[in-house]
Amino acid sequence: MAEVHVIGQIMGATGFSESSLLCKWGVHTGAAWKLLSGVREGQTQVDTPQIGDMAYWSHPIDLHFATKGLQGWPRLHLQVWSQDSFGRCQLAGYGFCHVPSSPGTHQLDCPTWRPLGSWREQLARAFVGGGPQLLHGDAIYSGADRYRLHTTSGGTVHLELSLLLRHFDRYGVEC
Amino acid sequence: MAAAAPSVFLLMVNGQVESAQFPEYDDLYCKYCFVYGQDWAPTAGLEEGISQITSKSQDARRALVWNFPIDVTFKSTNPYGCSDEVGEAQPETLSSDCLRRAEPGDWGSAVWPLNGSPPSITAVLPPVPSPLLLLQDPALSQGIPHGLTPALSFEGPQIVLSVYGPDVFGNDVVRGYGAVHVPLSPGRHKKTIPMFVPESTSKLQKFTSWFMGRRPEYTDPKVVAQGEGREVTRVRSQGFVTLLFNVVTKDMRKLGYDTGPPDTQGVSGPSPPQGLPR
Repeated sequence: MAEVHVIGQIMGATGFSESSLLCKWGVHTGAAWKLLSGVREGQTQVDTPQIGDMAYWSHPIDLHFATKGLQGWPRLHLQVWSQDSFGRCQLAGYGFCHVPSSPGTHQLDCPTWRPLGSWREQLARAFVGGGPQLLHGDAIYSGADRYRLHTTSGGTVHLELSLLLRHFDRYGVEC
Repeated sequence: MAAAAPSVFLLMVNGQVESAQFPEYDDLYCKYCFVYGQDWAPTAGLEEGISQITSKSQDARRALVWNFPIDVTFKSTNPYGCSDEVGEAQPETLSSDCLRRAEPGDWGSAVWPLNGSPPSITAVLPPVPSPLLLLQDPALSQGIPHGLTPALSFEGPQIVLSVYGPDVFGNDVVRGYGAVHVPLSPGRHKKTIPMFVPESTSKLQKFTSWFMGRRPEYTDPKVVAQGEGREVTRVRSQGFVTLLFNVVTKDMRKLGYDTGPPDTQGVSGPSPPQGLPR
């Protein structure tokens, strides 16, 4: 069995109109992959930046997978929410990116989007907050039913991930 | 099979805590410590250190320089030995109750490990503010409460930095916490990490803690290295620290690990916003 270590951080996010952001993240893999250690999903802290406009989370990601096949390479999916002073959370964006497939350190910029809704819902979101959200989280990382959605773009989430591969050369896989 | 295949590998890290950028604060010192899982053991060097107190330079750069050396060697005690029997063998390296076989898509469930979580943290899950915050009770800051041990979920070693400085009244308050994984690929790496402090939950608390000099801080800075428990904390990021690492590994390739192309001038991490000295 080949093994993959994903070690890194969700650094932070830029480009969102709201400050006080948090990120819920998760990793989805195919059936051939098995998570040996690490936490598959989590939620970062809420950060209010004092300098500049990048919200920093520095949330550690440390995953160890074993795999029997190449299909279903791990995908990291993210939901960025903003929290206001009353403690209410509002969706700021959904995004996903594949975990890199070559060993070494990679800087990733993951763009995000959020569902728009009708003009009434957009008006309500501007004044009251809230807004439409996805019912099932798997639309974030799969393309299956995306054609039904009308979305607008959010900001960008920045990640730094280091990949450590083991025994891939035994199986003749070049990465 | 090779006759004398190595069973452990070594990770030798040296470098320095180079400098910091904190636009609003001066006269800072930093503490570093290494946090690692069960699979790692330091064999040489110092795991912790406290730097000198530094002030901003008078020139236009306004730089805060520590130039504080780091030198440590880690040995992996058990390689992640799951080559052929992954399905059956439990990885000996990690206690099984920390592994969470969550299915993707269950956002609603709590993100705590299902069992084996440190008792003092589960006892104070929401709605109260995070248990990791020391809110104005100095009695709690005497030493580390027994139950509050970091959950065994981190593997690769991380360096945790805490920066402290004086406030207006002369008390020593925390100015930022930050953590980053020690790079596992040989070569030179420069990392700039953001530093954040926990925030008070109400305006009254904010004023009282400013006045009394007892700001919210973590009882054990090592919790910054883990991801669990963060979802209830509110923080403010207010500075950056630049670290330099030179990494040398031994026997990682023999054990089958591929760490990617060697990094001779690796510069990574977010760059501070414009206008700040680099």
